[in-house]
Amino acid sequence: MVIGLIAGYVTITGVDLFTNAVLNGQPIAPLQRLVLLLDPSYVDATALTADQRTTILVRLILYAVAFTLLIRMLADSLGVVYWETWIAQAINQHLRVKMIENAEHLSLRYQSHARTGDAIYRVFQDSRMISNIIATIILDPLEQGAGMLGAFVIIWFFSPVLGTIFTLAFIPIFLAVMWWTPRIQRLSWLSRQSNSDVTSRIQEVAASIRVLKANQAEDLAVARFDRDSRAALDYAYYLRLEIMLLLITMSTIAGATLIGADYLMANWTVLEDPTFLGGVFAFILTFTIWNFGAFQAARENNGELIGKYGFMFTTWVRAIDMAMGLNRAYYLLDLKPDVVEAEGAVPMPTPVAEVRYEGVSFAYDAGVPVLADVNLTARAGRTTAIVGATGAGKSTLMSLLLRLYDPDAGSIRVNGVPLDRFTIDSIRTNIAIALQQNVLFAATVADNIGYAATGVTREQVQHAAEVVCADGFIAEMANGYDTELGERGGKLSTGQRQRLSIARAVVRDTPILILDEPTASLDAETEQQVLANLADWGRERVLFVITHRLSTIRNADQIAFLNDGRITEVGTHDELMARANGDYRRFVAQETQGTAV
Amino acid sequence: MSDAALDTPSESRSRERFDDRVDINPKITNREAFRIVGRSLGYLARVKGLFAAKVAFSLIALIPGLIAPWTGKILIDQVILKKPFNDAEVPFPPYFQPVVDFLRGMAPMEIMLYLTALFAGLLVVYGRGGLGISLEPGRDSATISEGKISAGGSGMSGLLGAIELLVDIRLNQRLANGFRTLLFRRLSRLPMKTIDDHRIGDSVYRVMYDAPDLPSVCFSFTLAPLFTVIGTLIALYQMGATYSTVAPELIWVSLAMFPIALLVTIPLSAFVRRIQQASRAAGTATTNAIEESMSNLHAVQSLGGMDREAQRVESRSRESFRRFRHVVLTGIGVGFIGGALGGALSIFVMVTVATSVIGGIMTPGDYYALIGLAGTIGGAGVGLGMVWIGVQSEVAAVRRVFFFLDMEVETPATAHERLAVREGVSFENVGLTYPNGHRALANVNLSLNLGELVAFVGPTGAGKTSLAYLIPGFYRPTEGRVRLDGRDIAEIDLDSLRSQVSYVFQEHLLLNESIRGNLKLANPAATEADIRRACDAASATEFIERLPDGLDTRLGQSGDTLSVGQKQRLCIARGLVRDTRILILDEPTAALDPQTENALVNALRQAAEGQLVIVIAHRLSTIRQADRIVFLEEGAIREVGTHDGMMAIPDSAYRRFVELQGGDVGTV
Repeated sequence: MVIGLIAGYVTITGVDLFTNAVLNGQPIAPLQRLVLLLDPSYVDATALTADQRTTILVRLILYAVAFTLLIRMLADSLGVVYWETWIAQAINQHLRVKMIENAEHLSLRYQSHARTGDAIYRVFQDSRMISNIIATIILDPLEQGAGMLGAFVIIWFFSPVLGTIFTLAFIPIFLAVMWWTPRIQRLSWLSRQSNSDVTSRIQEVAASIRVLKANQAEDLAVARFDRDSRAALDYAYYLRLEIMLLLITMSTIAGATLIGADYLMANWTVLEDPTFLGGVFAFILTFTIWNFGAFQAARENNGELIGKYGFMFTTWVRAIDMAMGLNRAYYLLDLKPDVVEAEGAVPMPTPVAEVRYEGVSFAYDAGVPVLADVNLTARAGRTTAIVGATGAGKSTLMSLLLRLYDPDAGSIRVNGVPLDRFTIDSIRTNIAIALQQNVLFAATVADNIGYAATGVTREQVQHAAEVVCADGFIAEMANGYDTELGERGGKLSTGQRQRLSIARAVVRDTPILILDEPTASLDAETEQQVLANLADWGRERVLFVITHRLSTIRNADQIAFLNDGRITEVGTHDELMARANGDYRRFVAQETQGTAV
Repeated sequence: MSDAALDTPSESRSRERFDDRVDINPKITNREAFRIVGRSLGYLARVKGLFAAKVAFSLIALIPGLIAPWTGKILIDQVILKKPFNDAEVPFPPYFQPVVDFLRGMAPMEIMLYLTALFAGLLVVYGRGGLGISLEPGRDSATISEGKISAGGSGMSGLLGAIELLVDIRLNQRLANGFRTLLFRRLSRLPMKTIDDHRIGDSVYRVMYDAPDLPSVCFSFTLAPLFTVIGTLIALYQMGATYSTVAPELIWVSLAMFPIALLVTIPLSAFVRRIQQASRAAGTATTNAIEESMSNLHAVQSLGGMDREAQRVESRSRESFRRFRHVVLTGIGVGFIGGALGGALSIFVMVTVATSVIGGIMTPGDYYALIGLAGTIGGAGVGLGMVWIGVQSEVAAVRRVFFFLDMEVETPATAHERLAVREGVSFENVGLTYPNGHRALANVNLSLNLGELVAFVGPTGAGKTSLAYLIPGFYRPTEGRVRLDGRDIAEIDLDSLRSQVSYVFQEHLLLNESIRGNLKLANPAATEADIRRACDAASATEFIERLPDGLDTRLGQSGDTLSVGQKQRLCIARGLVRDTRILILDEPTAALDPQTENALVNALRQAAEGQLVIVIAHRLSTIRQADRIVFLEEGAIREVGTHDGMMAIPDSAYRRFVELQGGDVGTV
């Protein structure tokens, strides 16, 4: 407020001196004379001489240059803009990291339903939004508000009539904004939503371009993209149309107010009417009556004030748009992970001697049980094969061990201690898993193998590659272990990717190792070798293998047969084969004979 | 266009530090930039009408510039200072003289009344100032791109501004979306070999976000400079017509701002460009890091990589912000120089005019007329220099799009032929060598007939998939011929060829659609009965029925709501629903349990009665059901025969393979 007034006074004095004194040759006010270091004749004369006017001009320019350089350039640009950016970024950075952490720790239950494109969209768009909102809604209006108050005071200084007019102009502008707010809100939401759809569409095509080709669906994909894209563009168009209508309404009201004010002021100037408080401030400004300088100064001040109105309301419109974005951001921030760490959780103990499932039940969606009353014990140095039909719950059983989900009933115990007593990080640090989906990251072969381990040496990476029989093909690649791989593993065959996935689990050197369909894409010879190596490597470890392949199953120390979420049989291959009507025996018969029973 | 557009590793330092997969090649020579701009302008032909409208509006927008300086002058001199019009003073431009004659002799407030009416008219038609709609863009390429595509603005407001803004938005949208769709169409026609190159495959879709830069490349080099120059000429004309005798130096100094501004901004542009590019590279790297960790979320969680991923994103994000602040600092520097130049010009005008006013040569009103005119001319110089800075990043983006547009694509059908396979596929001395020299297949001779269930068997890397890829033309043989009913498939157009072949991939790729949508993708004409039959055959009916919305259940990203086995069965059903003469399944049973597998293989056997079914498999239970087994090793066919036939040969490669599998020879 005070700053606004001072800045306003400095500007007005400049206008006063330049118009009334320099251009029109009128004497100056006493305070102006002191500041410009001039003799009293400048105040007392009825008209200034040409030399006197030139002197004022030169001093005025010197002051103006100094003032601009010092205040405007230094404070405004260099300092403020840079630090404002920095502050906004710091907030943004914090939020962005927070959001991605939250997203990554969220239960997969949420993730499996959300479209990735949408999630990415949210993290980016909206984290920026929050920092911007702080600048837009709080910092800028504060700054502008101070200027607005200053401009208002100055208007009243000139004329209460003008003050009233500008106060009243506020009302129709305000009403227009209120009328358009809900319309803009709705379109902003739709526009964001449809943009997110286009983003997803683009990513999806990149991911599944092979399928599109194989099915000759290229044209279909183009058509769908076109449809989504047009919808998004239309929403964007109508959103902007509404905003435009509001802006034009506002600027027309503002323009009409200014033109009306100009007419009134011109009239007062022609009639040489006194200004409202000009006489009181005669010692600092020569605006006792409406003259050239007063007209020009008041005119600039009116423009300034209307500009601030416009800024305030435009900010409001942008804030509406941002608030729509924020809604979406908070949605992600507010989701609570399903799996929470218990208070006073301790690290999982090593070595692990035993993993025990006790009456474990679990359902992703209430009413559709995936696991029911599962009991199973796995010991170090032994391989447990988990066998069963597709959808029997094999992968879920392992996800529970990793605490990706928590069981609905029963518990899983490691060395006799329930899993939820341990910190989540320590659990996942001590369990390595080779997944069914062979995800490779955009990094080198060595980095992919060492992805989940910390501080592994090249020797350890190589050793892991040897265990999974990947050393051979890696050596043949262009840059060996330093060959770059893409998001989805580019040129490697499925079998090769699978082996890298296993190597990634092996290199972590954890007491528990889970292999989820590890060898599905390996040929028999490679598979035998990998399994033999793994058995050898895993002497001290608890090893779980989820598999359909008989050759893998037979070598396991114990086989758990999972049928419809229940473990129906546990034993070695020979034991289970000895059961005349056993599930496992029937499974093996189907596998080997390849005929339906 | 050279390969330089797709990164060469040694190119830049930012490239080594960030694995941004999209080309951010900093080197664009001026010549290349002009060539790219020239090519971009060709796309304007698609939006002729809107473009013409935009040109017309830009011309109309110049009119207030012809009036404003002189009404301003009259307001000060004749109204506020109550001076009569005096012909001995500085003249008005000839076109404005009629107005002066009209107002001559009127009382100040009478003049003011007319001026007010004129201002009010201008307010309705032209409004006050310009119109621009700035909504907050996101930081990621996708949202920025969506913002750009709907960008629009107008130098006017009021009625004309409103119309121009809408025209401008539509023009940008049409132009950019047309370009983007064209690109999309080309990308979907990239050959499989190109897609398999992951450096390209991964970055393909990001290029889509570069397309909206086209309008800006088109206009920054055409309309913007053109109208800057026209505006300058008009200002010069007005100055020349009025002040050339009293203050000719004003015209020369204003004109001198032109080369001075160019001299300052052009060398600076190289510097600004480098900074901006580094910042954009860092931004892209952040996007990549986030996208990668989001799309591999399951793996990241299972492997305990959450903190690592969060750190990765954090460090990249931090770096990109740091660089962005450099851009801000540079912007402040550039703004400072521009401001200093503008300030110097206005001080000069101020001193010159004020001196003239004091000397009685000019009136105070002349000051307001002149300061505006000089500003227009000086600003134009700075603006033209800045065009070059601003347009650089957009040229780089458009270049990436052109790179993909120029890539060799599969030729879409010019004339579809109705093809119906009657006999089968044959391979004649077929060989396949990858561009990197790897020899995937050599000397393959094989004949496959309708009615057969054939299994391609062999160790990992034997060339099974490569061989199968030759049939729908995903790969082209580098030696020999592949024939369909005796015709070389190289002579058959791709669409006709692929309409005869269904291919089910190893990866289970499903789209974000309903299950029905995914199946219909393969055959839009499929009836409900066709879909049910395919689901039955693939043993998918049971689990689909258990889903809450059945066939209408919408799948998440890559079908994440389903288990791997379920996805596999849906992919098989999708292959079956196409009902083509040739069906190829790559590892269809890997994730299936024996029961499901048996049901599937039986269904395939039935299908094979009128079709050629090719199965690439490792599982013995699948293989042994085949009519013929093609055993491959190291890119060559070793043996062809039936399971029993080849098992009977004591030292056959196939037999050794089966024995290693360990499931055979009566373990039961």
